[in-house]
Amino acid sequence: MTTVLDHPTSAPGNSAMKRPLIERLNVFTAFGLGIISAIVFWYLARTFLPENTEGSFIKTRLDAVTIIAMLGWFFGFMTGIGALIGPFRWLLGKDLDHDESMFYAGKDQGIKRYFRYTTDHKVVGIQYLVITIIIFFVGGTLAMLIRMNLGHAGGGWLQPQTYNAIVGTHGIVMIVGTIIMITGPFGNFIMPIMIGARDMAFPRLNALSFWLIVAAIPPMLSSFFFGGISTGWSAYAPLASQAPPGMDGYIMFIVIFAISTMVAGANITTTVVKMRAKGMTWNRTPIFIYGVVASVALALPVFPLFFLSQVMSAMDRAVGSTFYDVRGGGSGWLYENLFWIMGHPEVYVILIPAVAALMEMAPVFTRRPLFSFNTAIMGIAGISGLSILVWAHHMYVTGWAPLLNGPFMLTTELISIPTGMLFLVLIGTLWRGRLWMTMPTASIYALLWNFMIGGITGIYLSDVPVDGALHGSMFVTAHFHYTLMGAGLTGALASLVFWFPKMTGRMFDRRLSWIAFWLVQIGFNVAFIGMFLVGLAGQPRRVDAYAALFNQGNSVTTMAAYSIMAGMLVLLYGVISSWTNGAIAPMNPWFAKTLDWTVPNPVPLENFEVLPVVTSDPYGYGKAQS
Amino acid sequence: MNKRLVAALGTVVLGGAVIAGLGTYVASAKNDSRVLAATPAGTMETPQGKLPHYTLEMAAYPDSMAGSHGKDGGVHADWVTYGPVTNFQVPAHSAITITIKQYDSGARLNNDFFATVHGTIDGTATINGVAVKSVDPEAVGHTFTVHGLADAKSSLFVSVPLPAVPDEKLPPTGYTTNPTTVTFTFITGDAGDYVWNCEYPCGDGTTARFGGPMSTQGYMAGNFHVVNA
Repeated sequence: MTTVLDHPTSAPGNSAMKRPLIERLNVFTAFGLGIISAIVFWYLARTFLPENTEGSFIKTRLDAVTIIAMLGWFFGFMTGIGALIGPFRWLLGKDLDHDESMFYAGKDQGIKRYFRYTTDHKVVGIQYLVITIIIFFVGGTLAMLIRMNLGHAGGGWLQPQTYNAIVGTHGIVMIVGTIIMITGPFGNFIMPIMIGARDMAFPRLNALSFWLIVAAIPPMLSSFFFGGISTGWSAYAPLASQAPPGMDGYIMFIVIFAISTMVAGANITTTVVKMRAKGMTWNRTPIFIYGVVASVALALPVFPLFFLSQVMSAMDRAVGSTFYDVRGGGSGWLYENLFWIMGHPEVYVILIPAVAALMEMAPVFTRRPLFSFNTAIMGIAGISGLSILVWAHHMYVTGWAPLLNGPFMLTTELISIPTGMLFLVLIGTLWRGRLWMTMPTASIYALLWNFMIGGITGIYLSDVPVDGALHGSMFVTAHFHYTLMGAGLTGALASLVFWFPKMTGRMFDRRLSWIAFWLVQIGFNVAFIGMFLVGLAGQPRRVDAYAALFNQGNSVTTMAAYSIMAGMLVLLYGVISSWTNGAIAPMNPWFAKTLDWTVPNPVPLENFEVLPVVTSDPYGYGKAQS
Repeated sequence: MNKRLVAALGTVVLGGAVIAGLGTYVASAKNDSRVLAATPAGTMETPQGKLPHYTLEMAAYPDSMAGSHGKDGGVHADWVTYGPVTNFQVPAHSAITITIKQYDSGARLNNDFFATVHGTIDGTATINGVAVKSVDPEAVGHTFTVHGLADAKSSLFVSVPLPAVPDEKLPPTGYTTNPTTVTFTFITGDAGDYVWNCEYPCGDGTTARFGGPMSTQGYMAGNFHVVNA
């Protein structure tokens, strides 16, 4: 941890001597070394792997070569960004000296620190914010291509294979984007300040978790040039075993991303448990912290399984193992179990921090204490606990363990109880509050509406007989968009506007935030209610063309999708224009009571001159006058 | 109007243009843009009366050295492929006679359903001049199966098995001079866009060999356009 402030520092880069290696590594050296390394690994694999795989340990040479080249990219990139300097020093029995630690922390580097392996949590938070925006831009563009295809009467505008690749890539890109959209930018930038810490517990791991995501993206995008991800985001075996080499890009993406998530989860959990300010008891810890910790703590046990599922998938493709091949004693159900043991808790990894962020904002904008803090904690804990016991509701119709359908239906429906607790907390906080109507305030209402629809339709889908009819239809697609986008993304966009002043020192343009809000929310509800209707009428998901009776519903959904697109682009412009030219933000523009609003803008390198001591809860706004 | 609102509007227009451009590019990026149109062949008496008659000729090869992938076989020279192209266009409400020369060996079908002729006139196809309704599922080289939802009311499903050339009749190099010749006739309905593919697992993949050429358009799958004459 970078804790020394008054130690004299040299000015790296000003020395007449040759700059040390640590100062020469940045995102450009990372991409350069990554590409060179990928080419070298690719060449070596092509040279030394046997042409004739008969009797060899190699099953499919093309996949083996592709995976090895991607591994080359990964090691080259991580070396080029400087992630291995610390571990290499440890191997030599040394560690970074003070100047190097200060350099790693980004001290006095200006904008360059955002392009380096910088350990300052605030820099990492901004890096996460930018990468999240890029990911959403890519995923959103793919979404619009999907809607353009389905908006064409009967669909079928794109080649079926192209359509499948776009759907699969959109799915996994957006899932990753939504997983990191709150814990990444706000969990990193805001959370340590909110608990009164100077940095994360493991700053280098913090930087590592971010740069792992950057390293994971090129293999993913490269899949378009190798046949795409034709399996949908779930990449079921045996579909994945037979898919083109683009599937290897998916596998590499998930493997690297899972490592990033595990690293981030361990880091954030340790930080909150060990580094809260003096006096910040669990009852005085802001609810947003609970949301972030629940999210990453939930990811800790389940993402290793996701990691494992993809390693096994890669082995089935490349070296002839048969983990998922029944002929060799494997099972496709093994993959489905491993995938969904991650896949359903992941929904709550996305949702919980979004709801918690809005619970954090509700007292601020109603000037009331959070209604029933303990109920909120129980709700978060209940969802987290139950979420790892519901995965097989995705597998009712697969034929795996039919006798377990009933128990899984029960656990899934039970989760609506702690979810209802969170609704209760939000409504109770809003009730008779003196509303300060901002875009984040309106987002609380939007979340309640969207999450209600997403939640209720989820209860229907958790019901075994209903799921038998609706499984694989557009109804399912509409349902999970209502939860992940309608609830999750709504919370993330509100968080962006709410914490923008602290992160950038500028106020987010109020008018643009409202325009974006209404374009997105109206477009979203029209689009996905239309999708519910065609799903109920029987339109299957993941199919590029459809019967004429679905034309009208799809046209409506596509037109509304343009409204979402317009709203997101307005928001994007709002980010850029407000960041570069927005009104200067005061230290505490919302008059909030958490510690993050007690530090000046820009936030100093070590956040607090003197570590704070907490003496009261963060929601002491007093009761509203009725 | 406020400058910032105008700039936001500009961002929306720019973003929309980027997506429209990308969409147009992606939609036009076909695996194989070449289309083989059916040749007119007079009229034919059918169970639906006298209809315009058209013919199509194609072949199924054991690799990509023939077909549409160039003399060197393209990037996957060892992949099985149909030729001369994999996109076909036939008129609506017409009798279509397709002749396929099958040069490849084969083995057992996964699903015996595809060993039976479906969707042709009388449910038959001729194999080397002999009319059959089904073939031995143990020795199928490929199938030609047209299916899919169309924009119009009528749907189309035609599936014909192509028996394997026995291994002992395959030359050590090159193609056999005695391919299996399969001919069948079916009647098209309303205009619409369909897809066709082979249902015999002849591709890559560790599980069921449905990968590679089986999951890549331009090899064992393609488009089948029924258009108004």
